[in-house]
This record gives sequence, C-alpha cells and structure tokens, in this order.
Amino acid sequence: MRTTPRILSSEKIMKTIKKDKINTVLDFLIKKYQVFGPVQKDDLVVDFGRIQNGAQACLEFSNTNEPAKKLFFPQAETLFSYTGSDAAQVSELKPEKPRIIFGMRPCDAKSLSLLDAVFDGPDYKDPYYIVKRKNTTIFTLACRRPRSNCFCDSLGIGPFSKKDTDVFMADLGDRYVFEPITPGGADILNKIPGLENARPTDAERLKNLRSEAESKVARKVDLDNLPEKLARIFDHPFWDGIHQKCLGCGICTYLCPTCHCFDIVDEQKDDKGRRIRIWDSCSYPTFTLEASGHNPRATGKERMRQRLMHKFRYFVENYGEIACVGCGRCINHCPVGSDLIREIENINNLK
Amino acid sequence: MKNPYVPMPVKLKAVRLENETGDLKTFDLVFVNSGDAENFKFVCGQFAMLSINGVGEAPFGIASSPLTKEVLRFTVKKYPKGVLTTALHNLSEGSTLGLRGPLGNGFPLEKMTSKNLLVVGGGFALTTLRALTKYVLHEKNRPHYGDITLFVAARDPGEMLYKDDLAEWSKRNDIEIVQTIDKPVEDWPHKVGFAAPVLKDLAPSAQNTTAVVCGPPIMIETCIKVLAGLHFPDEEIITSLEMKMKCGIGKCGRCNIGSKYICKDGPVFTYKQLKELNSVTV
Amino acid sequence: MDLQTKLRQEARKLLEEKLVDVVIGYEDEGAPLRTTPCFITDPQDVDRLVWNPFCDHNLARYLTARKDKAAVVAKGCDTRAIVVLINENQIERKNVNILGMPCGGIVDRKKIYNHLKNGDVREAVLKDKVITVKGLEFTADLMVDDFLADCCLSCRHRNPVLCDVQIGENLPPLDVKDEYKKIKQLEESTSEERWEYFRKTLSKCIRCYACREACPLCYCQQCFTDQNFPAWVGKTTDISDTIVFHIMRAFHTTGRCVDCGACERSCPNNVDIRMLTKKIAKDVKELFGDEAGLQLEEKAPLSFYNEDDPQDFIK
Repeated sequence: MRTTPRILSSEKIMKTIKKDKINTVLDFLIKKYQVFGPVQKDDLVVDFGRIQNGAQACLEFSNTNEPAKKLFFPQAETLFSYTGSDAAQVSELKPEKPRIIFGMRPCDAKSLSLLDAVFDGPDYKDPYYIVKRKNTTIFTLACRRPRSNCFCDSLGIGPFSKKDTDVFMADLGDRYVFEPITPGGADILNKIPGLENARPTDAERLKNLRSEAESKVARKVDLDNLPEKLARIFDHPFWDGIHQKCLGCGICTYLCPTCHCFDIVDEQKDDKGRRIRIWDSCSYPTFTLEASGHNPRATGKERMRQRLMHKFRYFVENYGEIACVGCGRCINHCPVGSDLIREIENINNLK
Repeated sequence: MKNPYVPMPVKLKAVRLENETGDLKTFDLVFVNSGDAENFKFVCGQFAMLSINGVGEAPFGIASSPLTKEVLRFTVKKYPKGVLTTALHNLSEGSTLGLRGPLGNGFPLEKMTSKNLLVVGGGFALTTLRALTKYVLHEKNRPHYGDITLFVAARDPGEMLYKDDLAEWSKRNDIEIVQTIDKPVEDWPHKVGFAAPVLKDLAPSAQNTTAVVCGPPIMIETCIKVLAGLHFPDEEIITSLEMKMKCGIGKCGRCNIGSKYICKDGPVFTYKQLKELNSVTV
Repeated sequence: MDLQTKLRQEARKLLEEKLVDVVIGYEDEGAPLRTTPCFITDPQDVDRLVWNPFCDHNLARYLTARKDKAAVVAKGCDTRAIVVLINENQIERKNVNILGMPCGGIVDRKKIYNHLKNGDVREAVLKDKVITVKGLEFTADLMVDDFLADCCLSCRHRNPVLCDVQIGENLPPLDVKDEYKKIKQLEESTSEERWEYFRKTLSKCIRCYACREACPLCYCQQCFTDQNFPAWVGKTTDISDTIVFHIMRAFHTTGRCVDCGACERSCPNNVDIRMLTKKIAKDVKELFGDEAGLQLEEKAPLSFYNEDDPQDFIK
C-alpha cells in the first residue's frame, strides 16, 4: 500500500492569493500539467472535467455530483487492443503530462487512499490505476459547505481534513490559502508565481472556519461496532425487508467514491477489437449471473446485503478500514430515498 | 510492473468431445512463446482465465497435472447462454486464444502428505481433481500419500468424464475407483444413485483422511454433510468453489464469499473456512 | 376528513380483513421534500402512510414481481401504468387492490434546488399549498404549484382511471396549454441542432439504469442492454452507446409510456429522458389516436394493425 511522504512542519509555509487571481494559478498550472477541476455541467451539476483555462473552474460548489474516482478508475477504460486473434497491444499508460486534480474535497481524497488498498495492494498491482495515481498531484479544497447528508466526520475525515492530499487549500472568503502537505505538493506550490506568504492571522482564521464547517456536518452515525455486528447477522431476517424498495439501479455504487467493482468485456468491429473494463454494480442481477443461468445472489436481498457487507465488513477485514467516506452521495441521489445512515442505525439496533 | 490483465497467447493443439451430450470438450493448449511456458508454474487446483479476442474471458480449472509439461488441459462445458464457452466449442485446432494465470491458491498438497485421500468429483467438476489424481499417482509422489480413493459421480455413463484416465487408473492397485450414475443403465457394472447417498453407503473412514469434494453446488453441499456425518473433521473436508469471475485477481468484486475472494483466496477452501465465512456454497 | 386519514383507514381495513397481504404506499422518513416507498403488512403500521405532493414514485413498479396480493397507492398516471401492466398480462387484476388518489401534481424537488441556486434544504414543512424550506442560511416559502414536475403540468389524467377504492373526490381536468411545447421546438429545429441537444443531454448518462428500474413498464426479465449473446449495445458511456440505450428503451415504451416521469426524476445527472418518450407518445397519439393505459383490454397500438393505419411512411 502507498505511504504518503509528508514534509517537515518547518517547510509548511502557507501561501495565499486573492480570490480574483485564482485563475492565474490555474492558467500557470495548465501550461505544465493536465488540470482537472470542478466544472459546471448544468444548473445543478458540478463535476470534474479537464480544465483548459482557469475561468472554466467552478470553485464555488458543495461537492461534485460524481466522485473523483473516475479520474483514476474511469467508467470505461481500454485494457488493451488487438487485431484478429493477434496478441494484446497495451498502449502507453502514462499520461502525456503529469496531472493535477484541483479542488477535490477531503472525502474524495480519502477515497483514493481506500482505492489504493485495492489497486495498489500487497498482491496484484493494477497498472492502469497506479500509473494515473503516481502521475497525479492532488489539491484538496476544504469543504465550507457540507450538505445535509454529509457525515464525513463519522468516518474520521472532516471537512477540513489535510490527509491524503498533496496541497491543502481553503477559501478564506476573499482569498485562498495553500498549505503544502507532501514534498511533491510543496515543489509545485513553490513554482506558482503570484502567491504571497499567508498572513499571521490566517492560521487562526482557518481554525475558526474549520469549526464552522464541522458544525454544519449535522448527521452522525455510530460505526464502532458495525463490522463485528455485521459478522453476526448474515442470516438475520432483517435482510428480508431492507431491500424491498430498492430498485436495483446503480446510482449508489456508481456515485460512491469507494465502490470499485468492474466488468471486463470485449468489443470488436471487423478485425479490430479491444478489451475494456467498465464499472459494474453489485446491485445488478447480472453482476453474478453465470452462463449456466445460476445466480448465487439471486434476489435484491442478497445483493443489498453484499453491498453493505462489502463496505462495512469485508473491506474492513481485508484492508482495515471502512469503505465509506461519508460524502452522502448515495443518500442524496437514491431515487427511492434509501438512507444509508438509517440502514446502519437499524443494523446497530438489531438484537 | 507486470500487467495482470494481459493474456499470454496460446494455441489450441488438440480438442476432443468428452461426453455423449456433446456439451463438454477437452482442450489441450500450448504456449506460443517459450518464455511463457517456462514461467507458467502452477499447482493442482489452480485455474486460468481463457479468452478469445472479440468474445471475452472466463475462468476454468486446470485439468492437467503440473508434471505434464507438454500441454495445458481444460475441459469446458458449453452453455446455450455462454458466449465464451460457445465460442470455445467452435474453435478448431490451431486457433490462437489467450490465457491468464495461474490463478487461485490450489489444493494444499503439503498438508495432505501422509494422509489417505478421498477424492469426490461430480459432473464436469472433475477437472482439477483429474490434475490432483494424476499428480498424486505420479511415481515420485505416490509414496507420500496413504490410500487413495477416487469417487466419481455422473448423470449417466455417457457423461462420465476422462474415461481413458479412469480405465487406466482402474488397472492400478494403488487407487480405488468408485463410479456412480444417477439412474440404472443396462450393463453398467458400477454403482447407481446420487453422489451423497452412495457416498454414505460407501462410508469411507475418516481416519487420517483428507476428503476433496468438487461438483455442482448441491452435490458439494450434500456430500459435505455426509462426510461430516462420517466424522471427517471440518478442516479435512476440502472443496473448490466456482463463481462468475472477471479479473481473477481479487479486484472486480463479484466472487467473494464473506471477505474472501474465490479467485484470489480460493478457489480451494476447507469446510471449516466456509463455515467461518457464513457460507457453505456461496 | 383529509385524504391521508382516509387512506390510512382504507389501508387498515384491507389489512385487518386480510383482503390484501401488503399495502404499498409512501412514508415520510424525515428527509426534506421526499417520501419513500413503504410496504405495510401490519394494520398497526398504517399510520406510517402519508399522502402529499412529495409522493413522487410510481409504485406500480413494485407490482410485477409479486406473488402476494397487494394494495397499492396510485395516482392517475400510476393507475394508467397498472392498466398497461394488466393488459400486458404482467399482473392479474384480482391480485392488485388499487387505492386511487386524485392527484394535483407532485413536486419536482430538482426545481426547488434550482430555484434556491442549489441551496442545501435541511428542513421542509408543508402546510396547505405552501412549503417552508429552511437551510443553514435561508428560509423560504414556496408554492407547491410553482414547482410541479413537468409531466404534471401537462397531465390529462389526474384522477385514477381504474381503482378499487378512490380516496377523495375527482379533481377537475387541468387546463393544459402547450402540452408539446418543448417537443415542438425540438421538431422545428434542424437535425444538427437536435443531434447537439441529444448529444449534450445523453452524454451526462452514467448507465446506472435508474430510469429503467424506476419505470413500471420496464419489466423485461432481461433488458436488451444486459443481453450479451448477442450484445445489442455496448456497455460504455460513449455517446454512441448511451444513445442506443436511451433510444431503444424509449422505442420499447412506444404506445405504452404513461408519462409518469419516474424515469426522469430518478436520474442522478438530470438527463432529459422524457423528451424522447414524450415525443414518441405525441407521435402515437397523432398516428393512432391512442393514449396508453386508459382502459382494460385495450391493445397497444403497435401490437396489432388496422387496414386504415397510416401507411405514408412506406416510400
């Protein structure tokens, strides 16, 4: 698993820039890096996209509709191509320019460390993910606008978390401050022209904003005993009812920053083909449907159980952490109003 | 960094029909690149992903013994809805396909030494059990094991897999072969009945014995119950599981039972492990 | 007596007298501007049932897979979906007890979010026709009628077309103007403009299939998108794949879609799914004079032919 080098606190000189100059920072970065940041897609949707000039970035947002995982684990990705029955041709995995993700929320940044455990774990390495990850620098933007269903706090993250990032940014109202977290982040920060040293009062201001943001994270969930509890209730009648209203769509898994299940399929036109991997979801019946017609997770009950067990028990058993960052996307977007926090509370309350 | 998704090219050296129904074929494969052949080291019970460009990929147990260097053998059942299995059955000798592996943990051969072996196979799940039987019967290995019994169940005589191997092994006096079919058939010299009740009648001794059970889920479940009833300890009942797989390396997320992935942590599990994972079959 | 109380009474009666095994309705779990489907089997629990303009799911979606006898809370459009399901032999009339609700329209909460400039609604209280919404930095009184779903604004069947018990009096028909305004605009645009429109909206699709799963009429045992032998459509989010999915799904609802809007409301990325289905419904109405789900034993227009069917498409 990846261990992030951290820099000495003496080198952590906070920088700052006026808000109306932030585009010049992005414009500078764009010359050297592929920069991805939050982009307004429609009235309600802000999502990560490639930024060609600073003005395209939308830094006034709560969170992106889709999580940042797609920048490392795209929804559809070519593993290799081929002609006829010839051997596989893998194209260069390294991006043309190193990448910067600008304005990721701390919850999404945390999700990357969880995905690292899967794709950059102790056994099989996933080169497609790892190469993108190694060539990417993360600028997190502290979250001053947690939404009603955010519960990152319960996962030990918090809207101003400085973990799992290279540069930490925060919006002070009229200015942004930047704090280098890793040597790589510090390097880039040092090269950006126009940044001034932060003011002596900025640290205090940051602290206050942090408390203010944390107070907006209204929902809490007790996860302390959940993995052990789940281990005891695999056959509990609770599962017979919980899935009833679930439609079996892929929203909660596709919009989850940590869900990473995928399918591998071939596509071919004439002689040219490719093997691609695409996101898949444990909510779908086809996920485990075998060619024989047998499906070990035949109904919504088994599929819902798998989803919760995977996030809150199996992942913990395999990687030592819960596969959830409390971003609330699954709750916000569930078409039938399923509420993960309520489901967990119900599990906690089971005898 | 090794790319675990890229298959090695293999050539289909020989293919033959395995059963009367015509839905089972055995494929003998050889590596196109000699380097791949040298690097491909596997143990009995492991599997590989076979793929055809433009069609797809699926996991299959390796049916040949690691001591047989010439070819890699797989037996594949064709399903009407199986895209890849159908395409595999349509391949002619000389075709190129892809192979990734070896994958999975394999049978715990070290732990099984000096034990009596009871090998129980049903239907076409005999594949990795054939590899195991070939391996333990090899002159270098046979002295390390006690009594060996191979118990094979099939729907009818025409569906019995690896008839040549069974005939050859039947001639030996260092392995006992028990064959059973579901319903009586004229001139069938062996046992008749479903695997579990016949196994129960046979009542193999659990004394210093490891049982390895492979077959359809229902057969695994019933036979494990019989063996448990015969006082086989849970850790001495070994089975190999199957589930839909895509990556084969514990990432794509579908083939888990509890927190264990059949592809990476299995496919071989003891009954004890399965109980701890809240699952007998899945 | 208000409709919600009446609804609870009827539900209690059905469960107490064991006329049904389950009542499928809506409950309020506290999320602002939302209700959630509930499945009530115990007469003691009927007070969980709510009826308000946030009851936006089409619960007919839950009927096809059932083996038990179910009562279902159904708005006008939902009853039309039930009629289609009965006509298509997906459910038996005797196994479904329809609690018909005359419906003045349901709230599209995305319109509220939009109005509030994506404001984070933390509390919503409905009184009469006014929703008081509160966030951390705002409070606003909003009129329900200003935020009705698009499909409700052109609804011609606000009252149940089929039910066992109707809860409340019939509502007068809505004075629908410009039902096809957006469709007509699209029809009048150039093919390049149309392509650009579809490309833009469909490129937001993430293939989560919420639209399909929310649709009561998407009951195929295996959807064409899930078939792999042969594979009719690629599984990626390339526009070439998403457009095939949406167009084929829309075509599959031809003469069947009841315009309940469930597909569009379920979409996490605001894809304009109804544009396709509404256009097809318009064509069906113009070509065959047919509207789906209005009467039992009615055949879908594409499931049979008449000698005087329009033939001018044959060139």
